[in-house]
Amino acid sequence: MRRRILEKATVWFSWAAGLTLLASVAVLLCYLLAKGHEALSTGLIFGGTPPLRALLLQERVFDGLFPALAGTLLLIILSIAWAIPVGISTGIYLAEYADGRVKKALDAFFDVLAGIPSIVVGLFGFASAVFLHRHFSDRIGPCLLISSISLSFLVLPYLIRTTQAALEGIPGETRLTALALGATRVQNIFLVLIPRSLPGIMSGIVLAIGRCAEDTAVIMLTGAVASAGLPSSLLSQYEAVPFYIYYISSQYADPAELTSGYGASILLLMLCAVLFSAAYGIRKGLTHCTLYRA
Amino acid sequence: MNHSADDTIKIRVTGLDFSYRKRPVLKNVTADFAGNSITALTGPSGVGKSTFLMTLNRLWEDLPGASMRGKVEIRLQGRLRDIYDRSMELTELRKKVAMVFQTPNPLPMSIRKNMAFPLKLAGERDKSAVNARIEEALRMANLWDEVKDRLEEDARALSGGQQQRLCIARALITEPEVLLLDEPTSSLDRHSTAIIEELLTGLKERLTILVVSHYLEQVVRISDRVVEFAGETIVSL
Repeated sequence: MRRRILEKATVWFSWAAGLTLLASVAVLLCYLLAKGHEALSTGLIFGGTPPLRALLLQERVFDGLFPALAGTLLLIILSIAWAIPVGISTGIYLAEYADGRVKKALDAFFDVLAGIPSIVVGLFGFASAVFLHRHFSDRIGPCLLISSISLSFLVLPYLIRTTQAALEGIPGETRLTALALGATRVQNIFLVLIPRSLPGIMSGIVLAIGRCAEDTAVIMLTGAVASAGLPSSLLSQYEAVPFYIYYISSQYADPAELTSGYGASILLLMLCAVLFSAAYGIRKGLTHCTLYRA
Repeated sequence: MNHSADDTIKIRVTGLDFSYRKRPVLKNVTADFAGNSITALTGPSGVGKSTFLMTLNRLWEDLPGASMRGKVEIRLQGRLRDIYDRSMELTELRKKVAMVFQTPNPLPMSIRKNMAFPLKLAGERDKSAVNARIEEALRMANLWDEVKDRLEEDARALSGGQQQRLCIARALITEPEVLLLDEPTSSLDRHSTAIIEELLTGLKERLTILVVSHYLEQVVRISDRVVEFAGETIVSL
């Protein structure tokens, strides 16, 4: 009898937990939409500038979010671009080559890396910028490059772990299939194991994209500013949506400004949604072409 | 056991010890296998039959925690060679000593790509040569007529028996001299099993076959010789 109650309670608890989560996400989205829908317009993005001229970079946008959106997009692309090769290679190394003590030590190390607060990573990025400024060139300071590298450190553990877990989850017989047919270890990894792990690796990339899009602590120390326009190079400062949200909500002058903060939040979510779908699309295409190409 | 340099000997195993995570699996196994014959390896599960097969193509080296001692020689291109010698190229060995697993394991790609896979690994680029060899191997595995019109279909859409014959064909495409099969029919129905048994009997003209089997009937039907594994060592019947 007691066992049956426990059994039932577990099921009910799981349901309740799931529902609570769903409900909170729904409430959050509705709240954002309710508060921010008024601000949503091309004016929020482009200010007084004609959208087409702004997109073609013919005219600068002064009181819109266009530079911030562009900054965030560039930041995400750059950070992911630095993190992917390093993260996936490390994951492959951990799953396929490392064993014994080395593996244990590295496992612990990456757990620690995953646990480092982003503000600490930001501080480190800032310190490196200062160091580079003093010892190499006056032109280097907090900038897009430093921010993206710092962010890539922040998301590396996601990529490493998901790659490693996806590779280690491949059953033993599949692992031996190509080897028994005369594949070298490297051929086996790149022709069979990686294509099979792509869904897992891709979910790591999606997580990393989300993290890069939302992080504020790292970028406010390493180069994001309230007003900079479009970044002209990797070494320039830039605007970013999460930083704008933080900035506007902490020092808004009137309700309209706060509303534009909510509007910016909705835009940020939409940007993430677009990037996530792109990532899933790429995953489908990649799995197909790695496994089925001639 | 006959240890003279007999030309009919295809595989010679001497003093083979094998352990897995420090647990001994095989102890001091010594055996010869004649060429162009089918040898059945039988015995209860967990006595090292599959492991023994893996010592013949060194596939165990890819399992963590395994270790081996002893000597394995296989006659390749007419010369008895120590397969654990440095001069033995691992990928070359595995093309000449092919292996088919218990569960059919086609890769998630078309029938043609599955067949071409070992050739692709070897760097073969001549398309017409690849296609000719695909046809030849599929014919050897008695599968050509069933799949010739659907080579571009996903291999996993084939029936279990067909998948296993595809795996045999894929193993044959590198022109091996020894074929190792680990309970190749255990996941198949009676009819598919009969087809594969017939296929193996036909193949022994070309190569030497070692097949692990639980089924005594099967052993009697197709094998020229039975080797029984019993707790770390073998009893030849």
